[in-house]
Parts: sequence; C-alpha cells; structure tokens
Amino acid sequence: MLETKLRRTAALMTATWALAVGGQSFAQEGPVKVGFAADLTGACAALAEDGLNGAKLAAAEINAAGGILGRPVELIVRDTMTKPDEGAKVARALITDEKIDVLTGVCSSAVMLAESAVSGELKVPFYAAIGSTQRANIELYQPYFWQVQANATMEAYAAAEYVAKKPEWKNISALGSDYEWGHTSVAAFTERLKTLRPDIEFAEPIYAKVGETAMAPYITATLAQSPDAVFAPLFGPSLGAVLKQGPGFGFFQRTNLVTLMTVDTLQSQGAAMPKDNVYGISRAPFFALEQTPAVTGFVDAYRTEFKEYPTDWAISAYDGLKFYAAAADKAGSVDPEAIMTAVGEVTYDGLREAGLKVRALDGQMNAPVYVGKATKVEGYDFPILTEVEKFEGAPLMPSEDFILEARKAAK
Amino acid sequence: MFWIQLVNGLMEGMTLFLIASGLTLIFGVTRIINFAHGSLYMLGAFMTYELVPLIAPGTLGGFFAAVLIAGLAVSVLGVVFEMLALRRIYGADGLMQLIVTVALVLILRDAVRMIWGPNSLSVPMPDPLMGALQIGQSYFPLFPIAVFAAGLVVVGAMIWTIYFTRAGILLRAGTDDRGMVALCGVNEKLIFTAVFAAGAFLAGLAGGLAAPYGEVNHLLDTTVIVSAFIVCVIGGLGNLYGALAGALVVGITKAIGVMYFPRLSMVLIFLIMALVLIARSMGRQGGSAR
Repeated sequence: MLETKLRRTAALMTATWALAVGGQSFAQEGPVKVGFAADLTGACAALAEDGLNGAKLAAAEINAAGGILGRPVELIVRDTMTKPDEGAKVARALITDEKIDVLTGVCSSAVMLAESAVSGELKVPFYAAIGSTQRANIELYQPYFWQVQANATMEAYAAAEYVAKKPEWKNISALGSDYEWGHTSVAAFTERLKTLRPDIEFAEPIYAKVGETAMAPYITATLAQSPDAVFAPLFGPSLGAVLKQGPGFGFFQRTNLVTLMTVDTLQSQGAAMPKDNVYGISRAPFFALEQTPAVTGFVDAYRTEFKEYPTDWAISAYDGLKFYAAAADKAGSVDPEAIMTAVGEVTYDGLREAGLKVRALDGQMNAPVYVGKATKVEGYDFPILTEVEKFEGAPLMPSEDFILEARKAAK
Repeated sequence: MFWIQLVNGLMEGMTLFLIASGLTLIFGVTRIINFAHGSLYMLGAFMTYELVPLIAPGTLGGFFAAVLIAGLAVSVLGVVFEMLALRRIYGADGLMQLIVTVALVLILRDAVRMIWGPNSLSVPMPDPLMGALQIGQSYFPLFPIAVFAAGLVVVGAMIWTIYFTRAGILLRAGTDDRGMVALCGVNEKLIFTAVFAAGAFLAGLAGGLAAPYGEVNHLLDTTVIVSAFIVCVIGGLGNLYGALAGALVVGITKAIGVMYFPRLSMVLIFLIMALVLIARSMGRQGGSAR
C-alpha cells in the first residue's frame, strides 16, 4: 500500500513539475527508470525521506529540461524497512520486474552493502547518496557501484584536519558508536591526526552500544580522561543524548565536542544545542555552500515544495540523480556498461561544488566535507554551523595503493 | 569518579523502574504481557512535547504539570484500549496477547509517524534544572536528580496505595487469586481496567519525565520495551519490589561497568539476567510465579 502510494505520488509529482516548468514532450522510448529502494521506515526513515525529496526535485528538473537522452525520468519508490534482507529483495524485484536502469535511495550501511551485492550480481548500476560505508569502495567493491558523498573514512580525516588546526587541543578522547562505523571512524581519525600532530596524546577510546540513550556513564568516563576535545562518531539518539545530558556534567565547559552534525541534527536540537564548544562535521550544509543561483534556486524550490530546509541528505540525493543524468548524457545511452565507463570520466557541477568526479578504481566521488562550529544565529530557528571550513574531497580519499592493499588483505 | 557513576546508575535505574513498574503491575493482575508498554511511554513523551510550550514554559511547575497531564492522557488511551481489545482476550492464550498488543505497537508507531513525522524532536528542559550541582571537582546533573526525586514520590505513592487503600487491597487480592475476588462480589472487570489505566499512566509519566533528557522520536517504543523486559526478568514479572531492585541493579551495573569493563558493560547485565533465571529455575520461585 505504502509503496504504491509513494510511487504514485512520486510519479505524479514528477509529471506535474515537468508540465508546469517545461511542458516538454518526450520521445516514445519510455522512461528512464530509477529504482529508489529506500529505508523509508525503521531507523533510517527520516534521512531516507529527505533523500527521496531531493531526488524528486532532481527528477522534475531533469524532466523539465527534456529528460535523459530525450526520455523522462521515473522514480520507482520502494521501502526496505531498513533491513538488509528486505533491501536485497526489493532491489532484486526492481531490477527483474520493473526493469530499472539504475538503483539508488539507500541509507543504512548494512542495507547499502546488501543492495550493492545484488547490483553487482545482476549488473545494474547502483549509487549511494546517503549511506557511506567505505567497505563498499574497498573490500566489497563491485564494478557497478559508486557513491556521491564522502565516505566515513573521509569524514573522519576531515575531522582530524580540523582538530589539527587547534594548537590548544593536546589531549584527545574518542567516544563512538560500538559498531563498524564508530570503530573505523575513530581509527581513521586517530591515524590521520597522529601524522598531522605528533604532539597530541590520545586516550583509550570509549564505545557506547548502538542506539544508547542513557549516555551519562559514558560522558562521565570520557570526562575522566580530561580531554581538550572529544571526537564522537555518534548519531541519532545517542548524539542527541550527549548534547542534552552533557551540560549536567559541565561537558561543554570542560571540553569540546567534534561530531557528525548534519542539518537534520541541528534542527532536532533546536534551542537545546549547547551554546559553545560543539563542532560539527557535515556533508552538504545548505547555508555554508557557495550561494550560486543553482543552490539558492534549489533551496527555494525545496522549501516551497516540502515546507522545510533541505538537509544534507536531500542535497546529496539531488546531486546523485543529476550526476547520473550527466553520465548518461556523456555515454549517450543508459546501457550499464556505457554508464559505468561514463561515471568514471564525466565531470559534474553540483550543488556542493563544481568539478565533482567519481574515481573509477573504487567508485568514490571527490565530494567535499564541511566542518564548523554550531552556533545560534539570527534568521534561523535552529543553530547552524559557522566558521565553516570546507575540505576538498580528493585529498581526503584513501590512496589507490591503500585501496589495492586493503582489497588484497581482505581476500 | 566511582561516586558519580554510582549516582548515574541510580538515576538511570529510577527511569527504568518507572517504565518497568507499569509493565509489571499490569502483568501481576491481568497476566497480560503488554508489548505496547513502550508505545505508551513514547506517547507520553510526544504529549509532553506538545504540552510543555503551553503550560508556563521553562518553569519547574509547568514541566511537571505537562508530564502529569501527558500521563493522564495516555492513561485514558490505555483504558480505551483495554475496554475495546484486551477485555476480550483475558482468557485466551499467550499468542493472542502477543498479536493484540503488538498490533497496538504497530498502530501507535504509524500514528505517531503520521502526526509528528519521522524526525527526532527535542523537549526543552525546565530552566531551573538545566545546570549541574558542582561539589569540588565533581558535577552532578540536576535534571536526573529531579527525575530521581519524582521517581521516589511515585514509589511512595504506590506503596501507600497498595497497603493503605481499598484499591490496594483489591489489587493485592486480585494478584493473589482473582477468582476469589470475583466470588466475593467485586467487579473484576473494573479492577483490570483500573490496573491497566494505572500501568498506562506510569508509562506515559515515565516517557514525559525522560523526554527532555534525550531525543523524542517514533522509534522510542522498541528501545524502551527491551530494557523494561530485562528489568522485569531480573526482578520477577509481576513483582513491584523486584522491578525496583532489578532497575537499580541494571542501572548501577551499567554505569560501573562502563568504568571498569568498558567493553563488557552490556554483557554484564545479560549475565546477571541469566544467573537470575538459572537460580530461579533451580527451585526458588520468582515473584511472578503462581
């Protein structure tokens, strides 16, 4: 029911947008089908919905401008319930029954890896715009995959570069989620920061179980290490709990927090955001992007359509579909082999920046990472990031040698 | 640090107790394992989110009034659910209970998602409870201390109700032998409805009290129900004092565990649970057994 409804809404929206904006007529070949197998319910629901909204706007824009190779784009939306087995099932059904040309939409790392495996097996292009595990680039890479946002390692590297520039921070702690993402992020952050600042002392990392909301014991244990700053790869409820429970321990007077802080987190914190000493890593904060006509136009259109500001997820999903369209244009076809060759060659000017490219070796886009300070400012009813520093994607990407070696080791 | 962790553990334990007490109370009398208890907790949190800005925002009184009203609203919903659905399945087997209460979990989750959306919301803390009590170099957060105090009030009120009121006598009698209570001419249905209302009230109250200390979203239900079950298993399902002891044991074990065995603190809790289950099966009957 939900699936059909969503699908209908998406198709309807795409159609009305196309009619309203361009009134284009399309060739008879039928639409380019984008299979949007997204985590619309379950733990990833909020992120996936924003991603879907971004993709809807991209599809509407592409259609208004004549579609992909003269064919309209159609989003076929399915819910994976944030479950890997369901994701694989849905991906398979989209490919075999709906004959989709490209698969996307995924948010959770586990579902992403499951869908990527199906894409590799059935040789249908698949790109991730929200989920960002580097395992899809390295150990579990398959040649029909790419991702259009910085992966988790790149984000941790950006955090290390940012922390390295604070000479007064000499003792660093880490408080992460106790699963793959938390552990690899802490390892990557520590490794990069050690080379940048050999003088820094690192305390033993502390890990909290995934989804933990009673963070007081972890906060106390972290503060006992007397850190100048705490690198915290936490998200969702655990991060929210640190921001709310931390002040009771004087956390934000005694140390600094460097953590993932996308637009939706900033919004959900609202007035509860500590006044000082919170630094956020973000993928596409709309307020910190270069305010080109494309960016302001997108933000306005998004706000008109969905009555809210676009989150990082909406922007990277938008960029993701537009990048696919650019690759198809270059390839002159949506044939999987032709698309994959074009993905490695095309350069795309996106909302995040101009000159976005995908490295053929691992399907990783040179997407930038933003780090800034969470601050309340006039004009927004939620805190935004200020003093934002943009880290270019290319220098954050693991070297080709590193990837080849990691793949060899994994075998 | 040991003392701060001990206090952290007590605080978490009290929140756990507030959640588990309703679950255990309902089971004790009606023998229904209410899987929707976490959903009622979640509703309490969302109601509090709506009410806090309306009633003297920022003040202590306003916050507690909002939480109280939220608890009562959830209690009313609980009564409706009990009268419409549960009442028909008291005699039925466990599977039927599972189906009916899990159905409520799914309905409430989808309803909450439709009304409030999938994004996390934030309930502001009352201003006087924002800070910390600083003793020497140690900080003790005020908000959980206040929740702890509120929890003690609830415990006191429960003990008083159970031992010194007619409702309490009927409740104890109902737990011991409901057939006998019915034979004495007491309306058994009314007791069940009242108990379910009280249990739902406790869930809503707990959700409201905990709301400002974390995020409020439509996934709270499952997060909470698992911890509530752990507490009830340790304390004995149906046993109120057991729930209190179980909750404090879980809270303290976790907090102290993080300090000494950071990688094992969750394992420790399950280990305790396993030991309790083994000990209980070796002869001594738990409070829940009839």
